[in-house]
Amino acid sequence: MSTQIQDKPSGQPLTLKDLHIENPRWCAGCGDFGIIAAIKRFMVDQQMVAAQTVNVSGIGCSGRAPNYINAYGAHTIHGRPITVALGLALARPDLHIFIHSGDGDALSIGGNHLIHGINKNFKCVFLLYDNELYALTKSQTSPTTRKGHATNTQPFGTLLEPINPVRTALGLGASFVASTTDWMPDHLASTLGAAFQHSGFAFVHISQRCPHFDAENFDHKSSSWFSFLKHPNGIAPDKRLTDKTECIEHNPSDIEAAFRYSNAERRYYGLFFQDKNKPRYDQILHDLVEKAEKKPRSKILDRYQLE
Amino acid sequence: MIKEKKKVSRFELLMDAGFGAQKAGDILISAFADTGKYVYIEPMIPAEISPPPRTRPALSGVIIRVADFDITNIGNDADVILASHEIVLDRRLDDEETNPNCRVLLDMGDKPGNEEIYEMVCKRLAVLGLSIFPFQIDAQAKAMIKSMGGSGSNMYYLGMLAAIYLTSPEVVKSKIIKTFGKKLKEDILNKNLTIFEHGYAYAQEHIPFAFEINSRRAEGEKILIDGNTSLSMGIIDAGFKLFSGYPITPASSIMHTLAKNFSNYGGMVHQAEDEIAAIGTAIGAYFSGVPAITCTSGPGLSLKQEFIGYASAAEIPIVIIDAQRSGPSTGMPTKTEQSDLPAVIFGCHGDNTKIVLSVANVIDCFYAPQMARYLAEKLRLPIFIMTDFQTANSYKIIDKLKVNEITNINEIPDFVFERFHIQRLPENIEMVRAVQSIPGMPGAMRRVTGLNTDKEGKINYFSKTNQRSHAVRNHKVHLVKRALTKPEMFGKEEGELLIVGWGSTRGAIEEAMNLCQIDGLPVSGMHLKIVHPLPMMLKEMFSKFNRVVTVEVAYGDDIKPPPLAMLLRAETLMDIRGMIARATGRPIRPKGIYGTAKEYLHEYANTR
Repeated sequence: MSTQIQDKPSGQPLTLKDLHIENPRWCAGCGDFGIIAAIKRFMVDQQMVAAQTVNVSGIGCSGRAPNYINAYGAHTIHGRPITVALGLALARPDLHIFIHSGDGDALSIGGNHLIHGINKNFKCVFLLYDNELYALTKSQTSPTTRKGHATNTQPFGTLLEPINPVRTALGLGASFVASTTDWMPDHLASTLGAAFQHSGFAFVHISQRCPHFDAENFDHKSSSWFSFLKHPNGIAPDKRLTDKTECIEHNPSDIEAAFRYSNAERRYYGLFFQDKNKPRYDQILHDLVEKAEKKPRSKILDRYQLE
Repeated sequence: MIKEKKKVSRFELLMDAGFGAQKAGDILISAFADTGKYVYIEPMIPAEISPPPRTRPALSGVIIRVADFDITNIGNDADVILASHEIVLDRRLDDEETNPNCRVLLDMGDKPGNEEIYEMVCKRLAVLGLSIFPFQIDAQAKAMIKSMGGSGSNMYYLGMLAAIYLTSPEVVKSKIIKTFGKKLKEDILNKNLTIFEHGYAYAQEHIPFAFEINSRRAEGEKILIDGNTSLSMGIIDAGFKLFSGYPITPASSIMHTLAKNFSNYGGMVHQAEDEIAAIGTAIGAYFSGVPAITCTSGPGLSLKQEFIGYASAAEIPIVIIDAQRSGPSTGMPTKTEQSDLPAVIFGCHGDNTKIVLSVANVIDCFYAPQMARYLAEKLRLPIFIMTDFQTANSYKIIDKLKVNEITNINEIPDFVFERFHIQRLPENIEMVRAVQSIPGMPGAMRRVTGLNTDKEGKINYFSKTNQRSHAVRNHKVHLVKRALTKPEMFGKEEGELLIVGWGSTRGAIEEAMNLCQIDGLPVSGMHLKIVHPLPMMLKEMFSKFNRVVTVEVAYGDDIKPPPLAMLLRAETLMDIRGMIARATGRPIRPKGIYGTAKEYLHEYANTR
């Protein structure tokens, strides 16, 4: 089912300039800048074939990301990027797929697809841009908004405790669960690297600043409120911050410990969990087609023939 | 037995769900088919799996029409009804599909303990003037049925019907063996065969009538196929590589058929988590250059609408099959209707640009996926194939179809275009975005979006750019409008009354027009296959008639025109009404069209 792919025609190395299209239409100070900068940086470091990379997004500030990276992209509809990405994965196993989804996109309107994307474990890097509110629609409560935070839809303070994305992904049986932030470029890049190498649905949670609607959230100037999870099989703590905060040894194959860290009051960044052996739905389907007995189409009506 | 010669006859077998009425029907029609007759079969399926037996919702059965000529529809009324008990019979009588001289064979086995209801239903038959032939399964057969846990009565009824329709018991038995041979143990199979023989012998001895239908089928290879199987095979022949769906009646059987067979032809079947995901995945595949198709029914159509609008805005080809059932909401999942037309044509928010094909029969079903793929890839718009419960589940004998083995849309032969009354589209068609490359192609990287964009594909909210996008998309639809040739006509191109239909009503219209022509009535019929856009010459064609009406399996009344009539009114500014606009869940009958047409002519003559 795959189409013949050529390399970059010029044979020249991929540069940041190649990946540039236009200046993003995000607010000044938005965490999304950091995320796409890290993606571009990563693509250059890996010398990825941009034409073989497809960024798929939903709706929201995060949904615009594909439009700012010069690769292929599909800015789809609210909550459904996983479904479109799966179509690409099933049709074209040669493509590299990044999904860009927000907290509202992934955990509210698109929650069902997140459940099944994780369960299907098809190969993609899933990036959850978590700014803990709806921003593009101008400050409404999202599934991850902290309790008490006033928004336009819950002006007397957000009513419920937020959904915990990392615990949710772990609970759904994700084969790869990591968490990072938009303001730690080194850690973000390492996380992207680990996620990209993973053979399956790589769930990457990214704490993302929204200075326009919630400037006090995420104190990116201090690091005392979070810890890094580190391990030889995990993701290295951010170089700039290693000596500024706690770094905890955590084996990413230890699901019990992963749940404990995800449940804690304190924030943890790093690789929570990885299972390299979880079967992939895309691979299973490809194998099924590959191994099926080949029959000529000329005879498709023969079985309905009368004697 | 008094043999009555007939050119065509329709009969029904009515039982409780789960007791094999459809299986018996399948066996009988394949025996008919083997003996050179033409058949058309429509299953009656309850919406539940096993409703409690001896209740009205338990009605499950088959309607079979058998003829010595090629039949296009399920026809009019029953000549014979065989019912396993009085309750399913009573329920079915509500549909009013019996001939005045219909013979009713009623199994009285359940009468003890239910005398009152039996009496009541028999009285109802007497009021209707129908003759009743009570019978009971004999003791020996009954014992065998008991030994098989209650199953096997369908074989007895099959035997009776085979005898009444003068079908060789040996041929039927060979079909029973073919159907069950591999699935049942030998002793069980033999019991089924014996029960069949008992039923056959009983009818031969005790039922005083029989029907003789000639075997006149023309030579050549024939196939027996239903609408959804034909669509499934058509999907394979059209070169689709990914099918993405979510279970829903009556579309599901397409997915079942493909799940068993698609991989043998390099195709993949994906069962999505919901209706929205199903179309999203198909869109993702087509965006990457791999032809993909999704199918749905009823509520699923409503759920898919946002993605359909996205596909037209983002210019990603997509083909959607809508197997219509009765709505709104869950409605009647196993009953036929043609009410989805407005939702399909106008369903998404914002301006709608899409092409809507319909299928009239199992042959259209086979070629529609090719036609849809051609339009989808040429126009990069959503293309609908509209079928319905009736077409999906009814099957008939047809000449073996030509298989085209399409890999590229340029290979689609002319006869497919002719079948859908359309010419090929121009070589170059303007798109909103000049570049339409697929992922993997270097040097042409692009991003698709549901937002408005300029020619270069950049997001753009300027007034002129948005107006251009609309114009370009609509121009694609207009190209199809201009490419449409004259729709199919039955009868003269001028007269008093023109009856217009679409989709599954074609067979009934054609047959009704034959009846009208025999009477020399100034009535003609028209059938539309592509229902959106409509052809340019429609108004001119309509103007040759004093009155234009529609026949639709959809609701309409004096105040509200049914969907097709509404479209035709808007298209032609003529006072087009629904002559038959019924949402009863039952197909329109040729006799109904013929009778109403006569009334209309009469009324028109009196008011002129």
